[in-house]
Amino acid sequence: MIAERSTIVTENLVKRFGEFTAVDEVSFIVHPGEIFGFLGPNGSGKTTTIRMMLGLLTPTSGNVEVLGVPVLEQPEAIRSRVGYMSQHFSLYNDLTVLQNLRFYGTAYGLSNDGLNQQIDRALQMAGLEGRESIRTHELSGGWRQRLALGAAILHEPEVLFLDEPTAGVDPLSRRDFWELLYQLVADGVTVFVTTHYMDEAEHCHRLALLQRGQIIASGSPDEMRNQGMHGQVLEIESSDSARAVKVLRAAKTEGRLPLESVELYGSLVHVIAEGVESLQDALALELKRSEIESGRMAVIEPSLEDVFIAYMRD
Amino acid sequence: MSLRHIFAVVRKEIQHILRDRSTFVLVLLAPTAMMVLMSYALTVDIQHVPIAVLDYDRSPTSRNFVQQITAGDDLDLYAQVSSMEEIEVLLMRGEIKVALVLAPGFASDIRSMRGMPLQIIIDGTEPQSGAFAVEHVGWRAEEFLNQALSAQMGALGVTQGISQPIDLRVRAWYNPSLKPRVDMIPGLISMVLGFPALSVALTLAHEREHGTLEQLMATPITRTELLLGKMIPYVLVGLVNVIIIPLLAMLLFRIPFNGNFIVFFLLSAVFLFAILGMGLVIGVFMKTQPAALALSFLLIFFPGFFMTGIFFPIASMPEVMRLEALGLPGTHYAIITRGVFLPGVGLDVLWPYGVMLAGLGVIFLGIAGLFFRKRLG
Repeated sequence: MIAERSTIVTENLVKRFGEFTAVDEVSFIVHPGEIFGFLGPNGSGKTTTIRMMLGLLTPTSGNVEVLGVPVLEQPEAIRSRVGYMSQHFSLYNDLTVLQNLRFYGTAYGLSNDGLNQQIDRALQMAGLEGRESIRTHELSGGWRQRLALGAAILHEPEVLFLDEPTAGVDPLSRRDFWELLYQLVADGVTVFVTTHYMDEAEHCHRLALLQRGQIIASGSPDEMRNQGMHGQVLEIESSDSARAVKVLRAAKTEGRLPLESVELYGSLVHVIAEGVESLQDALALELKRSEIESGRMAVIEPSLEDVFIAYMRD
Repeated sequence: MSLRHIFAVVRKEIQHILRDRSTFVLVLLAPTAMMVLMSYALTVDIQHVPIAVLDYDRSPTSRNFVQQITAGDDLDLYAQVSSMEEIEVLLMRGEIKVALVLAPGFASDIRSMRGMPLQIIIDGTEPQSGAFAVEHVGWRAEEFLNQALSAQMGALGVTQGISQPIDLRVRAWYNPSLKPRVDMIPGLISMVLGFPALSVALTLAHEREHGTLEQLMATPITRTELLLGKMIPYVLVGLVNVIIIPLLAMLLFRIPFNGNFIVFFLLSAVFLFAILGMGLVIGVFMKTQPAALALSFLLIFFPGFFMTGIFFPIASMPEVMRLEALGLPGTHYAIITRGVFLPGVGLDVLWPYGVMLAGLGVIFLGIAGLFFRKRLG
């Protein structure tokens, strides 16, 4: 039943490399037409999971179904129905934009008019019209990323797997890229995307947070905000935020202040605690004792980054 | 198996070859350049070997002999010395490769027909110059003795019924002038065609290094289609060389091409299939280009030099090596090229080697396909 309605189902996926467990009992469901984010630091098992979902890597144990197809038994059956953009720029640098698109189009079985039509669409989407004969190594990061996306959707896949598609791309290009993803989702494509940028999590419909191969939290951004926090977030301006973090953490471990966590947040300090508003004076005093001037203090809505840090500390 | 998929890979590989100048050079020009360079380097005739002479006889006859022996381009008189110690010093310094010692009584021994008291000392660290000198001196000495004999006979008034005391006539079949080049070039072709195999190993490792292989594996292109698609362009490139190299051999080195070119072309295609299969095996097992390069030298070029009978006859190898040589495409192809070029033999004789090559190709491709799957995990 679930397999029919869900685009992707993974059950207790495990991948061990010798002694090392890269992916540990990972289970999740991706619904049709959503952007599902797989969030976690480098080395947390994101790429390994995506490779198993595509049938490129055999799991040690567990199950994967994509579009109702058991991937372990019939990896070939999903190839033409899914698109994949692997972690590193995966087009041929020495070939031109057009040669790359033509190769991937033909690889996915397109020919003649169908191929030309799709290539035109991809060029238009990537904004590379008129630059077909440029070699891809001459393109900047943002263009390449859009071209790689264009190549991945030539065959109009039902599901798109994107492994850190925006790594190393400037913020403006990242935003453009997400715009493209929204367009695709509007056309009915399901997107599975991994990232280690916390701010990109807000763009996803649902998320799973991965740490050391395990899913430690999942849900929509709002759900995760509500479940993940014990307490509220107080934002503090101070004369020396880096030192302020150290001082407050010391106060926490020595039990002088009942704090959940203390994090540096840009040039500000975020303190999370139950009833944090009433602790403002105590915090100011603690800082003053170490000759740190505290400025404005305000209770704020937690960002997903606050939430994730709270999860990962647990 | 989809022809469209294979075609996609073939076209992409050809685009790579045409785009990337270094691949283009490596694949199309290097074989030709190698061929020309190596055939000169490996077959330079030995000339102007420096020698020292220690003449204890100091007679007109001995001086005459030394003059005759150093008259041509072969041996150069580097020094006249007066003791064995001097010879040793010159040999140690590497200034001479060969020394001749003419014993006292050199002239009288010849006159009384007791022979020629001559000692040749050679530098054993350079056996080729030494062997050449021994041969050359021996030959000149015979000539000298014959002349001396005739002169003596003439002086005695005998002019008829004298035959030369030594009359040896050597004829080398198929290669009448016995230039080493003629023998080398057909063998060299088999090595030169190792370059496409190296390239195919490198392209596979390159795709693995750059992550494009992973992207490829996610497409509907199957492993067999990918391997075949990678192989075909390099078979074509190899066949271009198969046409260029015999032309070079004929025009530049005046080596006769006595066989049937179609037969040679067909058997070369089979050889390329086998050697490229080997290249694919290397590419499948090696994760990086340097590793693929190193293994290619070990498996393609090194045995090509030493184990395929180009330089050393296989018959003189130990049993184990001979078996190994059978598994190397170059062994069979060296026999084919030599046979087609010089005696001009045809398929009736060469077919077993063609069959061996085809079999090796199938085995290599099978191994590549089998392990390619596993290497991606």
